[in-house]
Amino acid sequence: MKAVGARLPRYDGVGHATGRTVYVDDVRVNGMLHTKALRSPHHHAGIKHLDTSRAERMPGVAAVVTHEDVPLLTYGHLSALGIPADEPLLGAEDVRYKGQPIAVVAAEDADAAQAGVEAVDVEFEERPALFDMRKSFDADAPRIHHWGAVYPHFEGEMNVRQIRKGDIERAFEQAYKIISGVYRPAAIEQMPLETQVGLSVPEPDGRFTIYSCTQALYFSMGVVAAHLQLPLNKFKFVGGTVGGGFGGKVDTATETLCTLLAQKSGRPVKWRWTREEEFLCSSTRAPWHMEIIDAVSADGWILGRKMLTLHDAGAYARFSPYGVTKHSFHHTGAYTIPNLHFDGYVCFTNRVPTSAMRGYGVTSVSFAVETHMSRIAEELGVDPLELRLKNANRIGDTSPNGITYTDPSTVDVLHAIAGATDADLPAPYRDASRDRRAGEWLPEHLVSQLSDSEGH
Amino acid sequence: MNIVVNGTNRAVESPPLTPLLHVLREELDVLSPKAGCENGGCGACTVLLDGAPRRSCLTAVGSIGGAAVTTVEGLGTPEDMSAVQRAFVHYCAAQCGFCTPGMILAATAYLERGGSTEVAAISEALAGHVCRCTGYLKIVDAVAAARDGDFDLSTTAESPHTTVLG
Amino acid sequence: MAIHIGRGIASIEYPTGMNQNGDPSQAWIKVKPDGRIDVFSGTSDIGNGAKTIQTQIVADTIGVPYDWVTFDNSNTDSSPVCTGTFASRATFVAGKAVLKAAQRVRERILEVAGLEMEISPEDLEIADGDVLAKGAPTKKLSVGDVAAAATWGHGELITGTGAQLNPYAAISDPTTGEVDGVPHAAISYAACAAEVEVNDETGEVRVTKLTQAYDVGKAINPALVEGQIEGGAIMGLGLGVLEDSYPYYPSAEHRGDDFGSYYNPSSADLPELHNIIIENPSADGPYGAKGIGEMSNNAQPAAIATAVHDAVGVWVTELPITPERVLRALDARAAGSGPRREGKHVIFDEELSINAVGSGKTWTAGP
Ligand code: FES
Ligand code: FES
Repeated sequence: MKAVGARLPRYDGVGHATGRTVYVDDVRVNGMLHTKALRSPHHHAGIKHLDTSRAERMPGVAAVVTHEDVPLLTYGHLSALGIPADEPLLGAEDVRYKGQPIAVVAAEDADAAQAGVEAVDVEFEERPALFDMRKSFDADAPRIHHWGAVYPHFEGEMNVRQIRKGDIERAFEQAYKIISGVYRPAAIEQMPLETQVGLSVPEPDGRFTIYSCTQALYFSMGVVAAHLQLPLNKFKFVGGTVGGGFGGKVDTATETLCTLLAQKSGRPVKWRWTREEEFLCSSTRAPWHMEIIDAVSADGWILGRKMLTLHDAGAYARFSPYGVTKHSFHHTGAYTIPNLHFDGYVCFTNRVPTSAMRGYGVTSVSFAVETHMSRIAEELGVDPLELRLKNANRIGDTSPNGITYTDPSTVDVLHAIAGATDADLPAPYRDASRDRRAGEWLPEHLVSQLSDSEGH
Repeated sequence: MNIVVNGTNRAVESPPLTPLLHVLREELDVLSPKAGCENGGCGACTVLLDGAPRRSCLTAVGSIGGAAVTTVEGLGTPEDMSAVQRAFVHYCAAQCGFCTPGMILAATAYLERGGSTEVAAISEALAGHVCRCTGYLKIVDAVAAARDGDFDLSTTAESPHTTVLG
Repeated sequence: MAIHIGRGIASIEYPTGMNQNGDPSQAWIKVKPDGRIDVFSGTSDIGNGAKTIQTQIVADTIGVPYDWVTFDNSNTDSSPVCTGTFASRATFVAGKAVLKAAQRVRERILEVAGLEMEISPEDLEIADGDVLAKGAPTKKLSVGDVAAAATWGHGELITGTGAQLNPYAAISDPTTGEVDGVPHAAISYAACAAEVEVNDETGEVRVTKLTQAYDVGKAINPALVEGQIEGGAIMGLGLGVLEDSYPYYPSAEHRGDDFGSYYNPSSADLPELHNIIIENPSADGPYGAKGIGEMSNNAQPAAIATAVHDAVGVWVTELPITPERVLRALDARAAGSGPRREGKHVIFDEELSINAVGSGKTWTAGP
């Protein structure tokens, strides 16, 4: 029997149904310590004074770790892609969001760890905070980082991710209508049922076995190794079975601090975030602000698009520049638009850093583009299915950054939806295909964007 | 104090106000009830007390008296699963599996109380159990079919909600 | 009070693999002396079904029953690099790594079988755990016997490694966004039709039906594909009408901090779902598969927003489409508001624009 294509039951289905699947929180080791974090109560503040000596003497407390204990405090998860580090593992001089960890305490039980946290002496100097990314460019906007509130490190040290294609001015001149709209999807919670959790066990040979809920074992191992400045053979990550992950469990939220605490105490250290911490301190999906201005013909061709995107990174960059780049590559949606002018910015605000979440970079633009397409259809009095079929990606069309589409299915999926909703498409639309443009499907404005190659 | 868990009498040393979830997981090593929120909101910690579903995170161990505690470990074993467990496997109703023990126990109690197999009724009955992965449809379908109990576990159920186009 | 019914559609695309690529996945496989197969992959299973999918791929590629294959992604001492389970890459990219490793194992099995059977490996094939002479299927040797011969006779371990890496596509011109290579492993497509009921007194939007079509290339496991589509649909419904980490956005106060104060979808919100699976095989994916795990929550919010407009005639372009936003939009429309029209310009949502709120940047159709 062939396995591929068969409706086989899940490999781990019986384990799940009988409660035998082992998640990180189910791992049992002797002598395990429990962790609690001192987190910033302010959205934006300077740390004027930090003293953990009282916490270290609390009953049951085995280790306290602050920024001083981290060999490499600030490590950029995507520094290999040219995105410089900006987020300290623990707050040192500044805190830039409410909930930012400043110190972690490992103790015999969670209550003792919490008592330890409360015994840390810390003083803050509150600073003005910024929450509306539309104000990130304002001269009087609070400065969140030394460079201000807009990320300045795209290629060529530009502060903007740009796409330029064709001739946008000409498209606006030729337009029958120019339609503008603003689209603002909210931050949402990742909300896996298993909260962030890690357990680091110091082994007699000097290694650490790290039980982790990460979505990316090697990625997270690289993060821990970088902060501790140790080679990869000092770590064994154990995981691969995750109680739900939608992007946020690429963050490596607990593993490094557990390992630092384990190193300092010589004991296994576990940290399972409470549901409240998961809601308030784990990364969310980003809020986005998108403004689309489309040049359209009377019969429903999209001639050109000018688009501004602001992405709310929260307090630190994490993966945000990557997300905005991905967003820019897909800002035409499933359609071919020959004239483009796109500017995308990573804006900093004093909220919890936002991070990758299912559909990263594109969920936002799908909402903006598709709602805008619906508005265009309405404004022009064109059927929304026909508008989409007309502008649909076809073999040989080129993407915003000039890549040839070889396998576009916009037409196929729209036909499927038309069939399922009993839409009555006129003949040319019913017969539309993914094939290379020709005849009525190749109006003059789309000629120059066609690629020479056939695609496959 | 002693409590009966999955048919076995277990001695408990934790103080009476300790949440049952904590006792099960941390003292007795009964690990299928999950700590999804420890605040009554998700249902991942659900156990049956004399057959009735209870959130073990909000239940003080001292309050349960002689009620028998059942977790999914007690419903069935991998070799001999209960009908609802088999239905969850056959309908692919678990993805990450973290909500699954609580869902299965809630569904078991619901069906045993004579709950209807109407989709709307099942959806309503399970509405207090959060699942972030499945979108609930396969869970509801599994529960609706579970009474039949006799599933071929070498495959999964065809979905009535799906059309495949060539 | 009246309930209004509305419909809307959306069609979307989404890239597979990390944007700009450069994200390796690797795997290795060994064969036990009785022919059973051990796969070591670094791909986490976050509920998406990576364990199942990769096991299916290995079973078919070698030619052994599914239940001969053991899958181990449990640790980094045993398993090689996988960049991770994100970017819809676990089937498409990581699946390709196990597929390549399985191809090597198959070749090695055939080589050893060739020695045992005194037939050239090119004239052999493997099916259901047996090595067969092509065209003469009575001449056969089980994979278990081949593995035993390798172990006890030839002193060999049958293994195979596989790695998949699409090269990094750098931005060659940051002013235009031009890239020096293909910046995705593949692109997948989907469309969605939403039906809603809008209560014009309470502002409540109830999503009643989502019809969704996905080109999945090849459904390696249709049940798991449905799981992604259905789970994504409900997450998209949450994005559309329920969820908000900052209910008084942009304020960062009064956030939901438990399941009682954060509005996530429950089973009571489950609409009627209709999944349409299209299989246009991809050129590069394992068995023609495409990655659809993430895009499954991308189409619903716009389809829902469009359906709300269809129902009550207002565009709500801030998500989620809460009762408050619907009622405010209805009030504004009753007060005569609408897009500003000036020449050929039709300008919606001016009050939300950066032009209205910020002083440091403006955004207009002009140069
Ligand atoms: S852990 Fe008890 S309801 Fe969530
Ligand atoms: S299967 Fe993951 S939460 Fe339900």
